[in-house]
Amino acid sequence: MKTIKEINRRIKKGEAVIVRADEMPCLFEENPKRAVKEVDIVTTATFGAMCSSGVFLNFGHSDPPIKMSKVWLNEVEAYTGLGAVDAYLGAAQLSEDRGIEYGGAHVIEDLVSGEEVSLRAEAYGTDCYPRKSVETSLRIDDLNQAILFNPRNCYQRYNAAINSTDSILHTYMGTLLPNGRNVNFSGTGEINPLNNDPEYETIGIGTRIFLGGSQGYVTGEGTQHSPKNRFGTLSLRGNLKEMDRRFLKGATIPGYGVSLFVGIGVPIPILNERIAENTAVRNRNIKISILDYGIPRLERPVVKETNYEELFSGSVEIDGRKVRTSPLSSLKVSFEIMDLLKEWIEDKEFFLSEAVEPLPKDTELKPMRLSEKTIFVENVMTKNVITVGPKDSIRRVAELLVEKGLDQVPVVDSKNRLVGIVTSWDITKATAQHKKRLRDIMTKRVISSRRNDLLDVVARRLDRYGINSTPVIDDEHRVIGIITLGDINRALRKRAK
Amino acid sequence: MNKYLLKFPPEVLDSPIIAETVLETGIPVNILRAKVDYDEGTIIISVLGDEKEQKKVVNALRKRGIEVRKLRGNINNDVNRCVNCGACISLCPTNAISFTKDLSIRIDDDRCIRCSLCVEACPLRALSLQEEV
Repeated sequence: MKTIKEINRRIKKGEAVIVRADEMPCLFEENPKRAVKEVDIVTTATFGAMCSSGVFLNFGHSDPPIKMSKVWLNEVEAYTGLGAVDAYLGAAQLSEDRGIEYGGAHVIEDLVSGEEVSLRAEAYGTDCYPRKSVETSLRIDDLNQAILFNPRNCYQRYNAAINSTDSILHTYMGTLLPNGRNVNFSGTGEINPLNNDPEYETIGIGTRIFLGGSQGYVTGEGTQHSPKNRFGTLSLRGNLKEMDRRFLKGATIPGYGVSLFVGIGVPIPILNERIAENTAVRNRNIKISILDYGIPRLERPVVKETNYEELFSGSVEIDGRKVRTSPLSSLKVSFEIMDLLKEWIEDKEFFLSEAVEPLPKDTELKPMRLSEKTIFVENVMTKNVITVGPKDSIRRVAELLVEKGLDQVPVVDSKNRLVGIVTSWDITKATAQHKKRLRDIMTKRVISSRRNDLLDVVARRLDRYGINSTPVIDDEHRVIGIITLGDINRALRKRAK
Repeated sequence: MNKYLLKFPPEVLDSPIIAETVLETGIPVNILRAKVDYDEGTIIISVLGDEKEQKKVVNALRKRGIEVRKLRGNINNDVNRCVNCGACISLCPTNAISFTKDLSIRIDDDRCIRCSLCVEACPLRALSLQEEV
């Protein structure tokens, strides 16, 4: 048994023994008793994109003073429903001029790098704050405070992502190739801070850590902290003015948005054998589910259960096929952080702090309570679908479209299975080009939907492909309905009421 | 092996120039990318074989009015921005991107077919397609 006080005394004397989290498994397995006795601190780290990050800023008062009601930094809006010149800039906020290519995270990186940042603010004006607008530019040194405060960082582990659909997906888990051709995963596995202290015996409120290249603190559990199933998170605080651009990087997740890579290092004091054993965790013992991001629901189906060892190996086997993997967190920078934290402690620049409160161990992640009913395709679709056959003449189909007042009609085979779709525009084109048979002009690759698809998902699908309707099919590809943009709009309007 | 960027002037857009070149030289040519517009065509090819054979192919193409430029390096990685996360690795259709022993990103120029999937996916915007040299 050791205490944090004792370890701090050993740091002061230059006697503390510090190892990296990746070195601990071998040391512990070789001789557990010796590992506990000799090792004082294990350094852990992570460096990945963490959207729930941001910075509290105080700009100082202008003359005459202004109470900001809206404020933009490099055209990225910050929340200023606070004191007159206080604001919170969220990392994931997009810029108004450059969209996802530049956002809150990039402003944070620019501030840390000492770059000049433009400020534009509006106000409604009061007797005490008469000014109604201000435009200026400033650097981090001009600010009174710049405090990085991240509501959720440092996920213990995270589900990996694959895409079963036949089109490319752009997600917060990166670019996912069609037909399950790649797997993306995030996190640093056996060197992640919370994986080395899964019972939160040393990490708690007030724990001093490495944050973005300076010393910061754990302020409590992070949002969505879900310790029961080992999805713990941390909320963190640090002084942006002391941070280093190498460990805070603005990122653009293509087709998704902006996020901030945050460098975090946590020292785990080895106080007893149980803590030591926990820091000896290996990648193969940390389980990860690969989820199908092709299913746009809250509960995504599990495609495979794996672990960080297999994910870091470069490929995973799925249904006898080797699928390549991409990490989204940087192991290289994480190792740099572990080494740097070790150096700081060895140089007596960093001392351990005792947590003032432990983190909760029993909170759970709840879904949003929705007051409206979930609407599925089958609730809205037209069930009596008019269909045509591929051998039908174009003239016959043209007459049908006019007679029934349709814009498009699904084409089915003799067993009612979907083989194509034809629109009134196709018919017009066919007439101009003197084509006779439907199968020569119909669209064969039809965007279809299922009866249990969510309405919002189908709306996005129609929008994405620029189409007005989609046939609904069953497992045998038989047409059981059709749903149009009009159907969806009517249903969504009803829900909004 | 080397890669070449070929520019086709509008006058020759409808001639089977690559096929003619292969028939004339007897040297296989691999088309990596092709983009043909109404006024100009751009094709990127790789040519196997030694320097002499490369020269033969280049000469045969130039003779037919094609502008030929040798491509050196395909993807440029700005190491000041790259954090070596690896988001690009699994996207590469030819396995040209991998981690080195010290966990840095390495791009194998010979394998790269300049599809630029990695360029579009890079969260740090560290990668760019080198146009030509």
